[in-house]
Amino acid sequence: MTRQEILTELKKVIAPYTTNKEMLADINEDTDLIRDLKINSANLVDIIIDAEAKYDIEIDYDAADKMMNVGTCIDVISERLK
Amino acid sequence: MISTGNDIISLNAINITRTKQPRFYSKILSGAERSLYNTPEFAAIPLASFVWLLWSVKESAYKFLKRIDPELVFTPIKFEVEQLHVPATFTITHVEPEEFEGLGFDDRPVLKGILSKGDIKLYSRSLVYDNLILSVVNSTDDFDNIYWGIKSIGNADHHTQSAAVREFLVASLQNVLDDEDITISKTPQGIPVLLSGGKVTQIPVSLSHHEHLIAYSFQLNK
Repeated sequence: MTRQEILTELKKVIAPYTTNKEMLADINEDTDLIRDLKINSANLVDIIIDAEAKYDIEIDYDAADKMMNVGTCIDVISERLK
Repeated sequence: MISTGNDIISLNAINITRTKQPRFYSKILSGAERSLYNTPEFAAIPLASFVWLLWSVKESAYKFLKRIDPELVFTPIKFEVEQLHVPATFTITHVEPEEFEGLGFDDRPVLKGILSKGDIKLYSRSLVYDNLILSVVNSTDDFDNIYWGIKSIGNADHHTQSAAVREFLVASLQNVLDDEDITISKTPQGIPVLLSGGKVTQIPVSLSHHEHLIAYSFQLNK
């Protein structure tokens, strides 16, 4: 999958956890999950679990702490898809 | 270390089924923390409440330490809750948090904890009810000079949460400090800062919100 394809799918994973739909429509690799999308930190584990199911991958806790913005989320997912 | 950190969890907003799945809680709890739950002390606490209790302790510790290290990233599993003591007669009750505040925790049934992040040791106090959990973290086991408050709000959108929790904290600070010229701002890293007369103070403050609940903590020198 290309980074753009992962980004498109990642939007769907994130969508249930943000009320900032306007920002979600315009996300890019610099978008911060908490600061920009106003996602409650309590939902970050949900996003990791949903991403694992979506891409059939496992994200361990060492990788999870890198998933603070969209770009690093794509890094982690693409790394595990290889 | 002078700082403060708190976290509020609305248990009505969490997905209990998902919380109880090992795949979920294993991303929050270490093996030792999972073993802790199997001790008789925690018989009165449901698994989902235990998971979010530890989350709230860890997130409070993260907020406490982020004031000292602004680049710190929150990885729950790297904050290790080593001890957590439940009062002998503890039972989970319900609370209507329209607005309640306190100074220290000595007059309440509170869970006392010790946790570590690397070489740093921190202490926690947690209030656990059937509908909410509040945790506050400090660098010593003395919480006598820590003010805290919980309040329920009508609207859970992010803008309302953010404005309401600032207003709640400012009202408490104005009362305690007898200072009408208090404002809250945030650093670029998102750390709340207390200003008096437009000048930054050294009083550490912490804000949290989850769905219809908001909470604050701050610490004053004795």
